[in-house]
Amino acid sequence: MTTPQMQPANQEERRRRGRSNLTWFLLILAFLAVLAGPTLMVFGLGMVPTLVALIVDRTKQKNNTLCVGSINFIGVFPYIMSLWGGFNDFNSAKIIISDFFNLLVMYSAAAFGWFLFLTMPSVISSFVTVLQQRKVAQLRGEQKDLIDEWGAEVAAIVEVHKMEKKEQHMEHGMEGLP
Amino acid sequence: MANALDQAVETAAAQKDVPVPQEGEGGGVASPVENDAVGKVAAKPPGTHKTATKPKPKPTGIPEPDRVEPQPPLDAVQFPPVELNDRYLIFPSMALPDLNSPQAMAYAVEDRRESGRQLFALICKPGLPVRTSLMKELKAQSINGMLPMADYGAVFWSPIDQTTVAIVFDRPLGGRYLDAFGDRPPRVNEYELGKLILEPVSQAISELMAIDFAHRAIRLDNLFYMDKEKRELVVGECLSSPPGFDQPAIYEPLDRAYAMPSGRGYGMSYDDMYALGVIAVFALLGSNPVARLSDDEMFAAKAEFGSYQCMCGNERIPMALIEPIRGLLSDEEFERWNMEALDQWLNGRKKTPMQRRPATKPKTALKFGGRDHMTIRSIAHAFSKNVPEAVKIIKNGKLEQWINSSLGETVLADAITGIITACKVQEGSPDGTDDVLVAKVCIRLDPHAPIRYKNFSFLPDGFGVAMAVEYLRKGNFQIPGEILARDLLSFWVSVQNARTPDLTSQERTFQTLRSFAKINEMGYGMERCLYELNHSLPCQSTMLRTTYVDHIDNFISALDQVADQADARSRPMDKHIAAFIATHFKYDIAPHLKALSDKKEETSLIGLLSLYALMQWRMKIPTLYGLSSWLGGLLSPAIGTYHSRTTRRQIEQEIPALVRQGSLPELFDLIDNAERRHLDTTDFDEAQIAFAHAEAEIESIAGEDVDQAKAALQVGEKVTAMIAIVLSMIATAVIIFVQSM
Repeated sequence: MTTPQMQPANQEERRRRGRSNLTWFLLILAFLAVLAGPTLMVFGLGMVPTLVALIVDRTKQKNNTLCVGSINFIGVFPYIMSLWGGFNDFNSAKIIISDFFNLLVMYSAAAFGWFLFLTMPSVISSFVTVLQQRKVAQLRGEQKDLIDEWGAEVAAIVEVHKMEKKEQHMEHGMEGLP
Repeated sequence: MANALDQAVETAAAQKDVPVPQEGEGGGVASPVENDAVGKVAAKPPGTHKTATKPKPKPTGIPEPDRVEPQPPLDAVQFPPVELNDRYLIFPSMALPDLNSPQAMAYAVEDRRESGRQLFALICKPGLPVRTSLMKELKAQSINGMLPMADYGAVFWSPIDQTTVAIVFDRPLGGRYLDAFGDRPPRVNEYELGKLILEPVSQAISELMAIDFAHRAIRLDNLFYMDKEKRELVVGECLSSPPGFDQPAIYEPLDRAYAMPSGRGYGMSYDDMYALGVIAVFALLGSNPVARLSDDEMFAAKAEFGSYQCMCGNERIPMALIEPIRGLLSDEEFERWNMEALDQWLNGRKKTPMQRRPATKPKTALKFGGRDHMTIRSIAHAFSKNVPEAVKIIKNGKLEQWINSSLGETVLADAITGIITACKVQEGSPDGTDDVLVAKVCIRLDPHAPIRYKNFSFLPDGFGVAMAVEYLRKGNFQIPGEILARDLLSFWVSVQNARTPDLTSQERTFQTLRSFAKINEMGYGMERCLYELNHSLPCQSTMLRTTYVDHIDNFISALDQVADQADARSRPMDKHIAAFIATHFKYDIAPHLKALSDKKEETSLIGLLSLYALMQWRMKIPTLYGLSSWLGGLLSPAIGTYHSRTTRRQIEQEIPALVRQGSLPELFDLIDNAERRHLDTTDFDEAQIAFAHAEAEIESIAGEDVDQAKAALQVGEKVTAMIAIVLSMIATAVIIFVQSM
């Protein structure tokens, strides 16, 4: 169990790691700017919705960012390909990003990603709920079979564990409170 | 005395607290089981009840133990002959009261192999320890000068509805020696005494001594003529009761006479020689010279003047007989005439006359219990009879003072002070009670005398029989148990002057018994002590009360026979059975006894089954249908030790088949098969783990701490993200493909 003394240390550690990541990111960005400046320019402007999603998405898993980012990339990638297939210079890049239609395509893709993320999970979760209920019923059935064969004492270990957990909770539950 | 067989049917079940017998009064003898008439009346044949009658005092004053009164004849149809060892027919309807023994009734016998042979049988009292080891010897060889024994064995005796020991003897055709005199005094002149009595009796003593036994029932009324012409005199039987049990106190040397009849011990040929000396005096005089004295007075006189002086002091003993009688009646064993000395005398060789050493006389007598005591022995005996008064005189220092001033025995006085101090230190504890104090003081005063505690007096070699008779009467081991707990036996050994190998061995035995008595488990306790000390004692279990089981070989089959009548819910085991098996079964059964005593019913049942299975296997008994059925019906809790219901059902289905085989080892293997049990345990462990895993999974899905909707939504988000990534990868691949075309 995390103790109050440990919390600030963890936060400090996380902050330090965040700073280190940012340094690496800027370094790579500078390196890419030198090597593939036009591509980076198109990619950077086209992927702005993903950046917004990254900022907005406070979850650890970053599912929202991944979803928006993936679809957003589908909208950006053809222009990067055209850049790589034609004149890969800043001028061509500027032409691409200055075309409203191009930006519309890129941002629409991102919007579709947003749409996907807003609608799909609830549909999928309904399926998941049904599956989980079936799984619980199946496990309960297995437990019943075990009890039929071995008697109630087969569950003793679980009961003991629960009791221990409860005791532990009773003993240490109040710790850490001011 | 009440009907002997009425008394005989008294068993441990008929428990009644009755006074412990004292030494006989009035120079006679109180029958050791006189107070026991609490037998099961229902078992008596109709018309056999008789009121107890006090024996008429004999004009000669020669004491005789009470023998069973003649009984009205029993109906031959109702009580048919009983067969013994496939050879002898014993007729309950044909009693022979003239041949009754104090503890056994006599009946006519027919030998099926040798018709016309004159025999009779003695039917012993059930429960009373009989001398089986001597019976075995007598069956193998006959003893000259003793009533010949033909056979013995356990028989079901229909008049008492119980199994007991029957002993078949050759019938003494000339009857009892005393009966030959009718109303005349049984006097023999000095010239005939040697030939007529001393020679045959000494021959019996000598031959018994050769096989390491003492007769211990040599008395005038136990002499018989084997022939009608009354020429061949023999000593009667000594098998139907414990050694010295029926002897009037006068026939016993002082050490043994002080003990209660059951506590007189096995004794030695020296004790027989003493009894022979008493017989010689009675036969010479034709009467008892100390008939007017009570037992206590006689003891005091013997202690003060010596047995010879006490009995013959005022009588005219022929000169030629003074030395043998004085020698035979010597109170010190090492001075008493042995067989060699008597043989020499009978062959006409003279022996150097004995110098009698007078007892140390005190300067003044000690007054106690209304009498003046002149010897320490007499004081010790009187103390044991009146503990409250004895305590006063011991604690106020009067005894110590008397020993110091009157006897000048400072060592003894110091020892008494030591005992008093030790008891004071332990005051309030059982080791510091007045009874213990008096018992120890008595032992220290008279080290050769019996241990006397709460009217329970015995010599160490008689402890076993005394305990058996005490149990027979009271149905408990209260006093013997206290004696062991207080360690009085070790104290007795410690005060003996000489440390002989016998004493050391006895002390070791008592220490073992003490350790047994302390363990309150099956196979131990006082019951174990009872059987360890009385190897020929039949098992006293209430389950086996109608049978007679005195040997382990008969035990299992006897239990198998009673199984049909037994309560199926009860267990074929109790403390007596466990102790009997532990004593007689030669293999190590300590683990079985431990399991048997376990508080858990199932463990105890498995212990019980394993013990009987081991016995059946070791003793190679092919089938035990009754016992298998009995045990098979009790095994539910033992089957319940298996976790698996399927295994339980399998076992339950297999039991009836094994019961029909009558095999306890098979039954045990079924119930406690190591492989099956191991499999059951491991499978159960696995089942527990599987159950726990399932529970953990359920907890993770639908536990109290889990928000199911939120979790499902999170899964949905994850899946959506995955779909988007996959879509992105597909689209990228397609774009690259199209561009490259």
